[in-house]
Amino acid sequence: MTDTPPAFRLLDVSLSRGSARILTQVTAAVPAGGVTALVGPSGSGKSSLLRLLNRFDDPDSGHVFVAGTDVRDVDVLELRRRVGLVAQRPVLLAPTIAAELRVGHPDLTSDEIGALLRRVGLDHLDAERTTAGLSGGEAQRLAFARALALQPEVLLLDEPTSALDSTAADTVLEVVSSFAASGLTVLVVSHDLARLADVAAHAIVLEGGRVVDEGPTDTVKYLGGN
Amino acid sequence: MTTAANIPSWLGVAASLTLILLAGVVAWRTRLGITRELLIVTVRAFAQLAAVGLLLGVVFDYGGLPAAFGWLAVMAVIAGQVAGRRAAGLPGSRRNATIAIAVGVVVTMGVLLALRIIDSTPTVVIPVGGMVVSGAMVATGVTLRRVRDDARSSRPEIEARLALGLSARDAFAPTRRDAVRTALIPSMDQTKVVGLIALPGAMTGLILAGVAPLAAIRYQIAVMYMLLSAAIVAATLAARLTERDLFDQAHRLHPLD
Repeated sequence: MTDTPPAFRLLDVSLSRGSARILTQVTAAVPAGGVTALVGPSGSGKSSLLRLLNRFDDPDSGHVFVAGTDVRDVDVLELRRRVGLVAQRPVLLAPTIAAELRVGHPDLTSDEIGALLRRVGLDHLDAERTTAGLSGGEAQRLAFARALALQPEVLLLDEPTSALDSTAADTVLEVVSSFAASGLTVLVVSHDLARLADVAAHAIVLEGGRVVDEGPTDTVKYLGGN
Repeated sequence: MTTAANIPSWLGVAASLTLILLAGVVAWRTRLGITRELLIVTVRAFAQLAAVGLLLGVVFDYGGLPAAFGWLAVMAVIAGQVAGRRAAGLPGSRRNATIAIAVGVVVTMGVLLALRIIDSTPTVVIPVGGMVVSGAMVATGVTLRRVRDDARSSRPEIEARLALGLSARDAFAPTRRDAVRTALIPSMDQTKVVGLIALPGAMTGLILAGVAPLAAIRYQIAVMYMLLSAAIVAATLAARLTERDLFDQAHRLHPLD
């Protein structure tokens, strides 16, 4: 059996913004397949770390590898199509659901749109309806579907449930679980590990810009916080 | 106090100071606090126009066409600095504004001269070119300001598109188009209502100089078209050039203060 390289590996990664140190010598791996939780209190550098994975930022030092290749050696537009990122507050970009899904993939067929909506549990919505008036949870799942339209290998989700009520958050996490079941690698940023306990098999704990623990979710130590 | 060609004499110009006196009294009585500034701008306008008048006389009499084009080049550079300053904080704004205005002027004046729509004499090239520079400057200034403001406020939208693997150019396209459309509103509106709301400058000048209205409008029509062309070319180019400075090689939007 050949070893599958991790979806992402960070090696001795440090990042500063001005005089502020955001990440300090971070070394961690995101296993291929399944859901990994990236947890830590607010300001611990989680979202900044996420931005290194699709090269929205580059580290000051250290390396980031995607499936074994340094991200800087991959064409950046290809990297972003392979690695979908959905922001904390999803920004919808088009007037209708179908147009939204076609932002990154203009040639998407109606059948493909239907399949994407089913995948995120939005198949009860008409693809031609306006995106205005969608609930927070629906908008979040539509943003997932928009990223999935590109058939990425990895999905990066920044605090996908933080702005949602409990029911909507549960629905979103069910959808995230189903992604993992379909073989996709998902990295979910959260300050709340307990919420991800049933979803994420693996967890990385960041505090003050450093990795303080990493491993199976039920073994990592994280006291939680905002 | 006017000459045969309906142009005020120097005595007439002096008499027009009555209007400044009136404005000064109003400003002083209503405590606007601009009396001093009013005095300065009055003297400044006189000095600037007197200097330009003298210099233009020299260019018309001795400089010929090369001096006229040199004059336009200087105007384009000054206009570029003014338009670029409108978007302080935007990388390369003065350079990009100057290039955009210069290209807008070259294209527009090139067509006007190549198709012999206007005479290639300094007395025509400088005033017509001045209008072109001015139109391009206004459109460029508004475009850059809008691009700067939208690049700041629309960062989440731009990054959402970049995250979908769109190139910087594609991710920025809606912002760029919006900025150019906004910048063209004054030129479009001006063209829409020309003659209905106000008699435009070139036509007014010709009528004042005794040209028949039907002849004056021919000039004005060409002027309106050239102003539209200059504004569109300059605004589009300014937005395109700025876009290159807003993103890096890895298709990332630079932070804007």
